Amino acid sequence: MARSSGRGGVPPAGRRLVAASAVLALGAVTACGGDGGGDPDTLSLWIMEGTNPDAASYAAELGAAFEERTGVGLDVQFIQWADAHDRITTAMAGGELPDVAEIGTTWAPEFGAAGALADLAPRIEADGLGEDLLPGLYDAGTVDGATYGMPWYAGVRALLYRADVFAEHDLRPPTTWEELREVGLALREAEPEMIPFPVAGGSEYGLDPFIWGAGGEIAEPDGDGGWRATVNEPEAVEGIAFYTSLATEHGLSVAAAETWLETDQLESFQNGEAAMVINGNWTVTTLVESDPGWAERIGVVPIPGPEGGLSPSFVGGSLLGDFQSADPDLAWELISLMTQGEFAGRWAESSGYFPGRQSLVEEVRAAGEPLVAPFARQMLEAGASLPVTDRYGTIQGEQLLPRMLQSILSGEATVREAADEAAAAMDETFAG
Amino acid sequence: MPAEASASSGQGGAPALAHARGARRAAWTRAARPWLLLAPALAVLAVLLLWPLVRVVLLSFQNHGLRQINTGESDYTGLDNYREILGDPFLWKTVLPNTVFFAAACVFLTLLVGTLVALLLARLGRTWRVVCSTVIMMAWAMPAVTGTYVWIWIFDPLNGVVSGGLDAAGAIEPRETNWFTDRWSFYAIATLNVVHHGFPFVAVTLYAALLTIPRELPEAALMDGANAWQRFWRITVPTIRPVFAVVTILSTIWDFKVFAQVYLMPGGSGANPEVLNLGVWSYIQSFSRNEYGMGSAIAVLLTLLLLALTVGYVKALAGEGEEP
Repeated sequence: MARSSGRGGVPPAGRRLVAASAVLALGAVTACGGDGGGDPDTLSLWIMEGTNPDAASYAAELGAAFEERTGVGLDVQFIQWADAHDRITTAMAGGELPDVAEIGTTWAPEFGAAGALADLAPRIEADGLGEDLLPGLYDAGTVDGATYGMPWYAGVRALLYRADVFAEHDLRPPTTWEELREVGLALREAEPEMIPFPVAGGSEYGLDPFIWGAGGEIAEPDGDGGWRATVNEPEAVEGIAFYTSLATEHGLSVAAAETWLETDQLESFQNGEAAMVINGNWTVTTLVESDPGWAERIGVVPIPGPEGGLSPSFVGGSLLGDFQSADPDLAWELISLMTQGEFAGRWAESSGYFPGRQSLVEEVRAAGEPLVAPFARQMLEAGASLPVTDRYGTIQGEQLLPRMLQSILSGEATVREAADEAAAAMDETFAG
Repeated sequence: MPAEASASSGQGGAPALAHARGARRAAWTRAARPWLLLAPALAVLAVLLLWPLVRVVLLSFQNHGLRQINTGESDYTGLDNYREILGDPFLWKTVLPNTVFFAAACVFLTLLVGTLVALLLARLGRTWRVVCSTVIMMAWAMPAVTGTYVWIWIFDPLNGVVSGGLDAAGAIEPRETNWFTDRWSFYAIATLNVVHHGFPFVAVTLYAALLTIPRELPEAALMDGANAWQRFWRITVPTIRPVFAVVTILSTIWDFKVFAQVYLMPGGSGANPEVLNLGVWSYIQSFSRNEYGMGSAIAVLLTLLLLALTVGYVKALAGEGEEP
């Protein structure tokens, strides 16, 4: 009897264990349905990490200024560029989006079309800001009259060259495409160990200026609210043919560059291999910071046009987006604070970028700093934006232009074939 | 007798009935107890594994993009995703052959190298065995991402160790060489990477299996005049066969779903469509293109493929084991 009860009836300690297990299990299930919901007394802001070495103190002072102005605290979080897109997507799924976040230019149409971003156009108009916003950046965030992101800071690519090597061989930086080729060929003779002008197969932004410079476009609105690829039209093909011929016909690049990203190309410049590269204004800051001697060795000129003038270059940078904040007035207050006056200039200055306002960039150009002013000139005179449609984010995700570039550089396809193939793939994406 | 009847009639009734009720309760508790104790683990598994799995299958029948993520609405499109994938010649001409041949080569080489190293370990003296196992453990312990970057660096066409050596030997011209653009050389490097990362597990596991062979068996065989080759096939192989089966299945599964080792290679993230495998293709479809439904459908297909392979392999092995 005693034996059977010992087995059948659970002893008190055992019973407690079983109950505890059940409670634990229940807890594990319910814990997953936790609620998000932010503190109504603070506004949350996401900023990308790594752009600005002085970001922490900027955030602290911005928070103090915002609280002083509105009485509402600011919760600043730094996130990584590399996983920011996924992070925002996940936050969207979980309903944990911040009030305001820094976003890449191509994301604005994408998240805007998904309905995650508020339209800032009425506020920009009410405050009379539109005139002075940097066109390339402003356009990138504006779809069908709705502006999904306020220009915050901007960067642009121009032609970096080794001023010391050029001086040694008495060469002058190119002002036309023909001169670019000639100077490259001269460098190949004079410095056989160097790479005169690496054509990086993984970098779309190195190719774009040549498409635009030749008068072509990557894609154009088709007139019915959709887009169509124009990357295989004669002007664009001419630009692609010239750019790739520098590698395939004239030997100004190396085979390894066929799979290089922009960072690999910069690395080859940094370790003294490349003589000319197309790269961004922010890289000059990084180079000079890593070794002050670089200031003597780099030269910068805007990217030349085919017959003189300038080839347009992509204006990249960041926008500030209002992710449907519960308090849109406060969100706009924060965006205004960050993009106007003291805070706008400070961020640009310490991060090595340009503020998103024409008047401020104009000041930089007028100051005439040799490593900065050519970028400012490129931005003001020949800044361009990529096709502004949410589908272009998809096209970039598929890497259609690097794909085209690589197949031409590796000799798998002719310029014509590769451009036709890229256009077909693009049109497929535009069609949905 | 139904429980309610015993409960109602037992109200102030005979002690025998109360006893029966107690026994039934005890039986129920006895049956339920293991489940209750397992409940936390099962709940965690359900939340962490089962629910995501169900979600992926559900997503694969939907058109799920950023808009759906933001609004939370679902747009069921039936078998459209599957139809589109299976009707895509790119899958049949590039992605599937890449995946299957790459996995087959990797599994074969991993097992070959792993077995040879296990046999070597079994023959080595104590000191050298410790040295060798430490070295191969380091290959195993290296994270896939780090390992991949090291291999990329070794094979860097311009400044890599390999191209430097071949250049010195006059075999190649580094400025005109790029191994990452060609499908075959791309996968040769990826295979080296995966085999290097995968063989230690096989070697260590098989070495453990080798230790289970009783000393007397090879000795007796030796007395009977069996040579080394015969001893290997008649004694070693049958003993380690079950372990071999397990490492084969595991390697097959791992090598089919290789992702980082391809994605991180130059051109492997989409710029060179020639080299995409199922894992990377699924990632590009879902995360680069924001078509999560399509990506899920590819993932489901990959899972089914792996299940079919595993089931087939286990059956084949079971059949083999029954024969003698």
